[in-house]
Amino acid sequence: MTTALTDFVLGAIELAPAQRQLLMLPLCLSIAVVYKTMRCDSVREVPLESLVLWGTLVIGMYAVGIGLWVLYSIMV
Amino acid sequence: MIPRTTGLPKDGLPSALHAPLAGALTWWLPGLGHIYLGQRTRGLVLMVTITATFWSGIAIGGVRDTVDPDKRKLWFVAQLCSGGNTVAAYVLNLGVTSYSARTGAPVRPSHWMSADVGVHYTGIAGLLNLLVIFDVVGRVDSGPSHRRAKRPLRPESS
Repeated sequence: MTTALTDFVLGAIELAPAQRQLLMLPLCLSIAVVYKTMRCDSVREVPLESLVLWGTLVIGMYAVGIGLWVLYSIMV
Repeated sequence: MIPRTTGLPKDGLPSALHAPLAGALTWWLPGLGHIYLGQRTRGLVLMVTITATFWSGIAIGGVRDTVDPDKRKLWFVAQLCSGGNTVAAYVLNLGVTSYSARTGAPVRPSHWMSADVGVHYTGIAGLLNLLVIFDVVGRVDSGPSHRRAKRPLRPESS
């Protein structure tokens, strides 16, 4: 128990660049859930609305990333 | 439209104190202000989501490199918006540092990539909690005026 807690607090996870990119997904989900929990009239609407916002955020961020990458490739 | 609270808690407090109290409760523990206002489910969802995001960041980056007011001042300010979590993590950080100094036990620093992701998670959790504080204060403040707006106007006497 103590070792598990110590590992949790001290032991940082070793991340590969691709894993780092994947960690964006739960963070976006968290942002979507918090935002929709504040905005929705009924809490029942939150799951579906959050999923839609999450998808929008992820697709939007990848689109911006790809766009910037293409721009960079053209200019350099 | 932002849904408003249906009524303020009947705890004997002057009504002017409800908004600061709800804000302070939310600062200390995300969602607690909503629970105080009687919106239990909404408060629990906010509490679980923000707290899980914050401690996921700590698990990813390690407490020593994630909550560090010396090296990451601005991020620490963002983290402070999620007060109770940040205080707990900072106390843990100080405990680990003093234990390491006392016993000479080496503490391996996190890889910069993990530390960065951890800082982003905890900082964003703090900023989300700031939004939740504004939301809960707004719910208290606009509750009575919202009800007032729906009341039919009395005809003016000439």
